[in-house]
Amino acid sequence: MISAGTFHVIATELTVGTFALSGVAFLLCALNKGPSSREAVAHWALLGGLIATPFAIISGVNAISGEGIDNPMLANKLLLSMTSAGLAIGLLLRKMWGSTVDLRHASVGMISVALMLTTAGIGGEYSRGETLLLFIPKDTVMLFPMWASITILALGLAIFAKSAVQHRS
Amino acid sequence: MRFKIAIVLLLMILSTTISTANPGGKGDAVRSRDCAGSCHGSSSTNGSSGAELAIQFQSEVYAGLLTEIETSVSFAEVSSNNMVGLTLLINSDGAKDLPANDGWEIITDPNGGTNNYVEIVDSFSIESMVSQKWTLRAPSNPGDYNLYLAIQHGSPNGGIAMTGISSMQSVTVSEVPENLPRLADNWQPVNSRLLGEETEITLETLNTDSVVVELQSGGEIINLEVVENKFTIPAAVNPGVVQWRVILDGEGPTQTSPWFRLSAVEPGWEVDETALYLQGFALLFLFAGLVLVQKSSSSSEVENKYDNSFEVNSQFGAIQEESETQTNTVRPLPAGGLPEGWTMEQWEYYGHEYQGGFQ
Repeated sequence: MISAGTFHVIATELTVGTFALSGVAFLLCALNKGPSSREAVAHWALLGGLIATPFAIISGVNAISGEGIDNPMLANKLLLSMTSAGLAIGLLLRKMWGSTVDLRHASVGMISVALMLTTAGIGGEYSRGETLLLFIPKDTVMLFPMWASITILALGLAIFAKSAVQHRS
Repeated sequence: MRFKIAIVLLLMILSTTISTANPGGKGDAVRSRDCAGSCHGSSSTNGSSGAELAIQFQSEVYAGLLTEIETSVSFAEVSSNNMVGLTLLINSDGAKDLPANDGWEIITDPNGGTNNYVEIVDSFSIESMVSQKWTLRAPSNPGDYNLYLAIQHGSPNGGIAMTGISSMQSVTVSEVPENLPRLADNWQPVNSRLLGEETEITLETLNTDSVVVELQSGGEIINLEVVENKFTIPAAVNPGVVQWRVILDGEGPTQTSPWFRLSAVEPGWEVDETALYLQGFALLFLFAGLVLVQKSSSSSEVENKYDNSFEVNSQFGAIQEESETQTNTVRPLPAGGLPEGWTMEQWEYYGHEYQGGFQ
């Protein structure tokens, strides 16, 4: 058996590695340069990272030494990784439903990757006290009131469902 | 362009420094020596620390009772952040070396926790000695026990991680005299509290007729009033540590406990986790939905730089229209039929010119 901390390192490195690969491929897509396989690489790597993300989040929560989320950096990690995962899911579904990989699509892909790498950077600062992300306000958490979160969740689900219905029709 | 990028990447690689340490530390924890502060580097890549390490015990250590030890670090050349990792161990093998393996219990470490590995930031230097106090509960079985103090730190030039371990320090744990006034075996001191809160402590004693509690705050020692084995430590205004100890009188020899350290800390950060998780899922669905609703940009101008299908289609349409117009205006054949040497196709296209010439 391995500890949650060790498992978190494994899951995190898988997530960050595949997301980074995806980011490079999306950059090539945006520049319209590189091998023709760049689109496939970008989306398959994104899918790999997306599969590893829940394992990284769950093992990370279990590896926290204190009780629950008691540090603003942990809260920011959660929000950033969920936002990144949302963008990634949207991109993959969009591609699966036949949309072309244009500049906007590739840019959203790079934003998703950037958010996930920022999450990993904050994790480095939390566990080792060091980061290259010096100018990002990691101790400030933008936490919505409950009613706002519920409204946004309903809005998101409505948009999601509408897109799915439009695709089927 | 590629050459410039390669040069930039090469410069970035060359500007890095090789370090096998964790310069920011890894946090206090219960750790074995093989993983005490430099987990990302193989032990073969570590340097040997020149620091002198020592452990001092109290004159009498009784089985199962609290005792205080003092560890000291001298001549340590550390990195610029002045951080040192100290580990209290029972052997130097790197395995089964936790104090708990011999029955020691760490009641208060130098940072106010209960860990055998602590990270200390202090004025470590080649000329200084830094001491730390630990409160331990001795093993419940009398006998001779060994303790070691291990150290991990960086080096002044930030190169490699330095490690070291003290020589074996032996202590004899004696059986508790029958009538020894003492704190109860299961009694535990409080290690931390929040700023602005008074702390009431209840003592549990054995073979004790009277107790005196001394509080050390700054350089001053004051006696606290004890009523029915309870006393109160005044609230702290600023984060910091106060020390207190208890002197127990009874039939047996008078006993003085170790100094107990009470850390005052600012209230921790709290968040409504339900709201946080809900917001996380809300953001996930919102951004997934927003990506899905966006439409493809108008056929990607960059990709269609060499795509002339629109022009070709429009020209093809124009030709078709012209052809249809001509088909609709084919002149009727002359009375004598097609002119000599003409085909029907030529007549369809040029018949009107032929007739115009005659007219």
